[in-house]
Parts: sequence; structure tokens; C-alpha cells
Amino acid sequence: MQRGRILVGVLLVAAGPMAAAADEDAAEIARWQETFAAKVRPLFEAKCLACHAGPESEGDFDLAAVMAAEQPAEQGMAWDRVAARVRLNEMPPPGSPGLSDPEKGLLHRWLDGRPGRNLCEQLASDETKSWYRGQVMSRRLTHAEYEGMIAAIVGVDLDPARNLPPDGAGGEGFDTTGDTLFLSPIHLERYLAAADEVVETVLTDEMPPADAPERAGWERWVGVGFEPTAANVRDRLASFATAAWRRRVTDEELDRLAALAEATAALPEARPLDGLRQACKAVLVSPNFLYLVETVQAGGVEPLAPRQLATRLAVFLWASLPDDELLRLADEGRLTDDDVLREQVRRMLRDPRSRSLAEAFGLQWLELGGFAQRVAADRSLFPEVDDPLVSDFREETIRVVHRVFATDASLLELIAADETPLNARLAVHYGLSEPEQVGADGWGVVPLADGRRGGVLTTAAVLATTSYPRRTSPVLRGQWVLGQLLGGRVPPPPPGVPPLPEPHEGEESQTLRQRLEAHRSNPSCATCHDRMDPLGFGLENYDPLGRWRTTDAGQPIDASGTLPSGASFAGPEELKARLLDRRDEFIRHVSRKLLGFALGRQLDEFDQCVVKRTAERLAAADYRSGLLVEEIVLSHPFRHRYHKMED
Amino acid sequence: MRFRSPAPGIELSRRRFLRGTGVALALPFMASWPGRAAAAIGGAAPRRSAFLYFPNGAAMKDWVPEATGSDFALPYSLEPLAAVRDQVLVISGLDKPNSRQGDGHYAKTANFLTGMPVAKTTGAELSSGGVSVDQLIARSLAGQTPLPSLELSTEPIVSGVDSNVGFTRIYGGHISWESASRPLTRELDPRMVWERLFGGSVSLDARGRQLRGNLLDHVLADARDVRRKLSRDDRPKFDEFLDSVRAVEQRLDHAAQEDRPPPDPAALGVTPPAGIPREPRDHVALMLDMLVLAFRTDSTRVASFMFANDVSGRNFSFLDGVKGGHHEMSHHEGKPEKLEQYRRITRWHVEQFAGLVARLAAIPEGDGTLLDSTMLLCGSSMSDGNSHSPDNLPILVAGGGGGTLIGGRHLAFEGDRPLCDLHLALARRMGLAIDSFGDSTAPLPDLGPDEA
Repeated sequence: MQRGRILVGVLLVAAGPMAAAADEDAAEIARWQETFAAKVRPLFEAKCLACHAGPESEGDFDLAAVMAAEQPAEQGMAWDRVAARVRLNEMPPPGSPGLSDPEKGLLHRWLDGRPGRNLCEQLASDETKSWYRGQVMSRRLTHAEYEGMIAAIVGVDLDPARNLPPDGAGGEGFDTTGDTLFLSPIHLERYLAAADEVVETVLTDEMPPADAPERAGWERWVGVGFEPTAANVRDRLASFATAAWRRRVTDEELDRLAALAEATAALPEARPLDGLRQACKAVLVSPNFLYLVETVQAGGVEPLAPRQLATRLAVFLWASLPDDELLRLADEGRLTDDDVLREQVRRMLRDPRSRSLAEAFGLQWLELGGFAQRVAADRSLFPEVDDPLVSDFREETIRVVHRVFATDASLLELIAADETPLNARLAVHYGLSEPEQVGADGWGVVPLADGRRGGVLTTAAVLATTSYPRRTSPVLRGQWVLGQLLGGRVPPPPPGVPPLPEPHEGEESQTLRQRLEAHRSNPSCATCHDRMDPLGFGLENYDPLGRWRTTDAGQPIDASGTLPSGASFAGPEELKARLLDRRDEFIRHVSRKLLGFALGRQLDEFDQCVVKRTAERLAAADYRSGLLVEEIVLSHPFRHRYHKMED
Repeated sequence: MRFRSPAPGIELSRRRFLRGTGVALALPFMASWPGRAAAAIGGAAPRRSAFLYFPNGAAMKDWVPEATGSDFALPYSLEPLAAVRDQVLVISGLDKPNSRQGDGHYAKTANFLTGMPVAKTTGAELSSGGVSVDQLIARSLAGQTPLPSLELSTEPIVSGVDSNVGFTRIYGGHISWESASRPLTRELDPRMVWERLFGGSVSLDARGRQLRGNLLDHVLADARDVRRKLSRDDRPKFDEFLDSVRAVEQRLDHAAQEDRPPPDPAALGVTPPAGIPREPRDHVALMLDMLVLAFRTDSTRVASFMFANDVSGRNFSFLDGVKGGHHEMSHHEGKPEKLEQYRRITRWHVEQFAGLVARLAAIPEGDGTLLDSTMLLCGSSMSDGNSHSPDNLPILVAGGGGGTLIGGRHLAFEGDRPLCDLHLALARRMGLAIDSFGDSTAPLPDLGPDEA
């Protein structure tokens, strides 16, 4: 009975705001549906359904199914997609009956007038499951988080994840997605070996020399004059487990750890600290450490417990443990305060640990995860490519992204910037002057005279990973720009594509453009290639390693392009300007990606509300990167969890 | 004419894995590790099975022999099989009907060994359609060997999701599935495979095993505590942890109960690999060495190997006459110069497979060789890479299967004949008493004398 009451209570809370919103919106929705039935539906039927109906729909987009929904107003993500493609003049495609200007006007007004519902303060749950597939779950740590946390505990980076099999990704494209973070026996064996190595290296019986990297960790967890009595070991274990598990340890848990330590210490020929070490290993292989455990209280939608919120924050921005300040604020109950949270976000972004955000989020957003594998360059054709250069490519992109977030710069600087981080080797690679001041790691910042460099698009990392082993690919590059910067989708080519006309020896570069243009004269190819190929041609001034070039195979480079919207450009600087014209698409996409990374799941309709709201606020605040992170951290989905009820 | 020299691959790959890849398996090959394997089933060699996958399909014109039966000429891509052709069945005409929907790659690869529909998702409600045939076999052999199975590859899982088609790339990197939603993580580093065969719990002494066992007990208790505090929808995923702890414990128990000494690398004439070789071809050769070693030491009787992930763009310019990446060439658009490169890449994979067959055939076991007790499947999840068709798949089967497979023939099947019919036939030969698997209709006939 007790559980039944709680269930009813939660349902009421969940239904309350929804019911009110429904009342307010009812009239507006009715009007909107009327317009739909009277004017829009016939338009779609006449102009769209020939290709977009049924399971074989073009682009895998079944508009008929969207229209057939009981509540068309709730098909928001689908309508957003329609609106974007129509606005860019990409739909209907060339060769099919187009829309007249009055028809376009009608459609835009109707799409823009879709009644808003406040979805931002809701989480998907069983009641709204039809919208919802992904969920946040108590997932295991990613390798980056595992390394970051171990390093925070023992004060030294021993690269403990080096033997773990690489993580895949899911949801919005990130390894933080619970659904696709697997744990198999191989993982457990490696976690055991890593815990062995870390603990045996740092918690030694003998004090490490003063200059040893493990000295600080040893002082923290062993220390001069430490007597391994049962009481002392228990004490030490309490702090070790509290740090590693991001929460207080119960007496019962501590009893068990202490018992494990004692049993080990009692073995014949045990070294003095064997007991402590064995229990510390158990702490690091425990799911309390390896998993982001978010426990259920009553069930349903619940605010996260303060320390769990602190952990989400630290994992999101640092891939590490919450530090003392976060834990203190959590314990004082102050992390529920919006201003406190904003202040913490700003502090954490300024902290050097926020580099992990650029590394984990930045690389995966830009499709550069598993970077070395993605650089396909044929080293027999490009002997100048070696491992150090490839890791410089990667490092540069991390620094470009990190610079924007650490300095609260405008997100638009990810597209075009007037300075960029470099080291000497990359400066030579790009033909730029070396940075005047460099840090101990050899990296500095150089001012840029023109827009050939600056931002992520013109980094060697991006340009090289969107090339084939022996040549550039305007198609791959265009697809990358469309997908990773503007959030556009391109369905795979239909089967049975007719071959491109043959190139002739020595004409490769010139004819590639011509051949692709011929390809696009086929309407079924043009729909997608008109959107992406021109973007890629705008980058033809960069060779497969991202170096500037003005000719290819003896032919001058033509880096001009025109998009279906009519927007045209010549060369990468103008291309960047056109991308900045489409900043709304870019900002929405980056916001969506960062939210997906932070939540570790596929986004749903409710999250789209957060994305939209965030984009609007960014537009009003010079696109400050810090505000993007603040908005995500303060959002309802970041601060809440949905827990499925028991049957 | 210059490509018609008979089976050059075998010599080549032998030489390659002798030079500098880290493992030096001394010639002549020594017998399989005595004791373990032969003692297992009253002196008869235990049956083993391995499932090999290569990405991006095959140029079928150069794959399917024109004649059927035992009197057929090897087409270009299969020429490397010449030296072992008596041990190999070329099987054409098998389809994967459940891959006719979905996208071009992911919906075909993840179910290579399940045969069932792959769920279109970037993660939530992930499904390969079911347990894969290798894992079904492994489950039936549980406890008989130190490792239930071995999953190997040479390419790390590709990060990210393919948002254009709405699939997570996890699918393109897994053929072995413990259940529909749980892929088996693959081993990429030959040194780590070596550790699994000869190190870890195998090499622990009694004290080490006790310490490790106590630790695992402790962790298991922690895990049970945590599980109680999780909500219902968190638990299925969390159970991976509990199952993994149990699997590692079983391995420890197995080592404790083993009354024979663990396999001794020195007695086998092998030395540990240094790590992942820089050249993909050396990497592939070394992983296949590890597979042989695993069977030879009876560390496991089930294995799967992915030459690479689906959609792999691996640069094959190391091959004579090839200038470019695998996926790029598989989209040959019917152009002769791309087709030529594509078929050379396909042939290279067959060559590696032929090398594996030859290596197993060179290891004596009982009255015969290791190959006699083994059944190998090698193929791709689509036929022609340009059309992405999941029908008329390129499939090879090799080995004696303990006297149940008769090689040296081309079997051509007509009509809708699902690949799962072959999986079923192999599973039954591995001792499973099952009448159906995936979308099978009946065990594939004519493979050899023993259908049960």
C-alpha cells in the first residue's frame, strides 16, 4: 500500500503542470490543427508524399506517418526537420514539383506558429514513453573518466586505461552513453590488473624518493610513520573509499573493507601494508568506483542527490572526481542554488582540468574519436607523416576547442578566429610563423593575418580525416561540414548508383569537380550532393594533410561553390563567412551535441526544448561558451533523474 | 598471368610471421599441448570452431567458381586456396534475408552470426537480433576450457554514431554477441591475448589465487549492494558487471582445479608478442597466430576474428596494384580499375585465411592434425560491396570438423537459403542438440557425412 501511495503522488506532480499547459495551449493547438487540415495537409500531399510516404520513403523520412499522428503538434522534431530543409531551399529537390512563393509563405507561417509547450522542465518517463528511447543510467566510467579519477586519487597519471579495449559510442555520438558502455570479463581482468599496478606503485612499504611522481600519493595515503594497526588501516580506508566513491562510506562497507585488509595482513609472509593495499584494490575494482551510481529514492522523476549532482558536474567538465569545493557545496545543500551552480561552472571551466571537456567532447563532436586510426594518409605517398605529427594534429584541435571554453570566448570562434594555438612543428607544416611565446610543452598562440586558419574547420585534423589515403574528398569534407557543424543529415546513397564518367589520366583534380557535377545532374543524387559537395569544394585549397595549396596535379584549384539556398563563396574564408551566416544552425547543433554528451543518452523532445532555449539565450549573449555550459548544467534534465518504478 | 602462381600466400605469410612480428613460432611446428585437449574427451580430439569475418563484401565474379562439385577451377580471389583446397568448401548462394532492410553496413554485420534483424538505434534498445552462433556454442562448452571463447580483431571500435542512418557504429565492430544487447569485447593486442592464454589467473600460484578470490568475493558483495539501490531500468545493464565477476571467478576456479601443468610457451617453441605491429598485415598474421595458439593449447574451442570493422577504410596500398582504402575500393561503381583493386584486396583476405588453414594443418594432434578437429567459417556480411546486397554471400568453410566435413568442393545453393542453415549445421557438429537457429530452415546439407 505504501508504494501505491507514493506512485499516485508522483503521478499527480507529473501531471499537474502538463494539465495546466494543455489548458492554455488547447485553443492555440486547435487553431494550428485547423490550418493544418485545411491548407497544409493538401500542400504536403501534392508536393511531398510522392517520395515521403511509407517504409520506402526517400531519406528515410516518412512524412505521411508524421501527418497521420494523432497529435501532429507533438511531432516537433519532425516539423523542425521539415522547416529546416524547406527554408534552405533543399526541399522539394530540383526535378520535382516545387513550392510557389505563396505556398512557401504559408508553410513557414504554419511551421513557425506551432504552439509552444513548456517541455523544458520535464523528463521523459513511462507516461511519455512514446517520445522516448534513451535514458540516463548508472553507467560505468569511460576510459577518460577512469584515468582522470585514478589520477585525482593517487596524484599521478599511470595511464591505467592503456590496456582497456577502446570504448564505442552511442546516443548523440559520445562514449558517455550508458547504453553503449559495455563491461565484459576482459574489462574486469584489466581493471584488476590496473588496480594492482596503481596500488603497488603508490602505496609502497618503502617511502618513494622525494622527486618520484608517486611521492605525493604515497604521502596522502601512507605517510611517514604510518603504523598499519587495524584502527589506522580502517581510518585510511575510510578516506580512500570516500574519495574514490564520491560519497560517504557506510559502517557496514567499512567493516567489510577492514575485514578484507585484516585477512590479507594475516597471511604468512605478508608485507606490512599488504592488508591496506588489498582493500584499496577492492575499492578501485568496486562498482562503487567504476560506475556512476545514481540511486533511486522513491522512484519517478527525482532531483539528483547533492553529491551525485556534484559528480555529474565533475565528470562532465573534468572527467574526474568532484573536488573539495564541490563536495563542500553539495554537503551544505547549496548546489541547488542557480547562482552557485553558475559560479561553479565558470570556476571549473577556468580550471586546467577542463581540457578534458575539449578532449572528450571536442574530439567526438568533430568525429575525431580514435584519432590516429582516422588519419588514412598513405605514408608512402606522404613520407612526412609520422606519429608525432599526427598527435600534433590531434592536440591542436583539442587546444582550439579548449581555448574557447576556458576563456569564455564566443562559440563562433570555433568557426573563425583571429588567433590559433600552434607548436613549432605545426607552424612549419602550415607555413605559418612560429609562436613567439611558448609554454614548457612547446605550444603557444599565433595571431592570424587571414581566415585560412583559425577555428576547427581548417585544422589538419579535420582536413586529413576527411580525405582518402591518397587524395582529398570534397564529398567527405562537405558531408563533414554539413553533419558536424550544421547538424544536417545525409542519407546514404541509394543502391545501384550509376558510375561517374571516367576520368582521364592526369586530369584527376579538374575532372573530379566535373564528374561530381555530372553526377549531380541526376536528380536523385543532386538532392544530397547539392547540399554537401559545394561545401567540400570550398576546402579544396587544403591538401590531404591540411596544407595550403593553389594547384592540384598541375591544375589551379577552383574553391568556389553555390548552395541550393543561393549562398555562394569562393575559397575557405568566404565559406566560413557563409557558415557564420548560418550560425543559428551551428549553435543549435553544438548545444544539442554538448547536452547529449553531458546526459550520456539520445536526446528527446523535452531536450529539444532545452536546446532551443539555450540557443536563444546564447544569441542574446554573444554566444559565450560559458553560458552554453551553464544552461546545460542548470537544465532540468541535467539535475534530475527518472527512475522506473517497480512493477 | 602474373597473378596465377599457385598459392603464393602460404609461403609469404609463413615467412612474415617469422620475421620480427614479435612471435617466433619455431619451425617445424610442434604438436598441440599434450594433456589438455586429448584428455578432454577420452582421447579423441575435441572439436573447435572459429568464425572469421572480413568487411565490405567481395567482388563476386572473381569469387564464385563456375562449376560445382569437386571439379571446379578456383576463381581469381580464391586462388590462394590452391594448396589447401581439399580442406575447403566453397559455399555459394547463402542469403541473409533479415539484412535486406536497414542500412548498407551496420544492419548486416552485427547479425553475421545471429541472422536476425538488427535494431535501428544509436544505443537505446540495442539489438543484434539474438545470441550469435559462436556464443551459443561457447555456452554449451562452458567449463571445459579455461576461456569460454576468444574474440579477436585488429581495428578498434569506431567511435561515434552514424547519424545519417541512425545506427551506432558499435554494430559495425561486433559479430559475437552474448545476447542480443550484449556484444563481446574484442581483443586487439596480441600481447594481451598472450596474457589471457599464459598469464593472469593461469600463472597465479595458490596464494595469488586466494588473494584474487578474496578480492572478487568482496567486489561481488559490493555489486549486489549497489544493484539493490538501483532502479529497475538500470539493472539489466549493471548485470554485466556481476556476470563479468562470475566469469573471472570461474576462470580462477578452473585454474585451481587444473591438475595438469599450465601450457608452457617454451615447450611449444613460442615467445610472447611485443604488442600491436605497425603494419596491418603483420597484425592480422599475429592475431591468427594467437588463434592457432589458443586452439593448440586447448585454452578455448570457440573463437571469432574480424579482419577489420565494417566500412573499414584500411589503406591497402601495401598490396601490389592497390592504391587506396578498402571501403573506397568496394564502391567500385563498376569501374575496371577499382574492381581490379577491390578483387586484389578480397584475394588478400582469402590468402590470410588459407595461411590459417595451412598452419592448423601443420600441427599434429593425435593421429591427425589440429585442422582435422576444427571447423572454420570465413566470409563477409554482404556480397558485392558496391550494391551492399546481403544475398549470395561469399562463404568458405574449412577443416575436418572431427570427420564431419568433406572439403574440396563447391556447393551452390539455390533460392532463399539462409546463412543460418550453415550456422545450424556447424553448431550441431559442435555437439549442440538444436533443430533451429536464427532464421534457419534446416541444417545445411551435403557438408559431410555427419549431420548430427
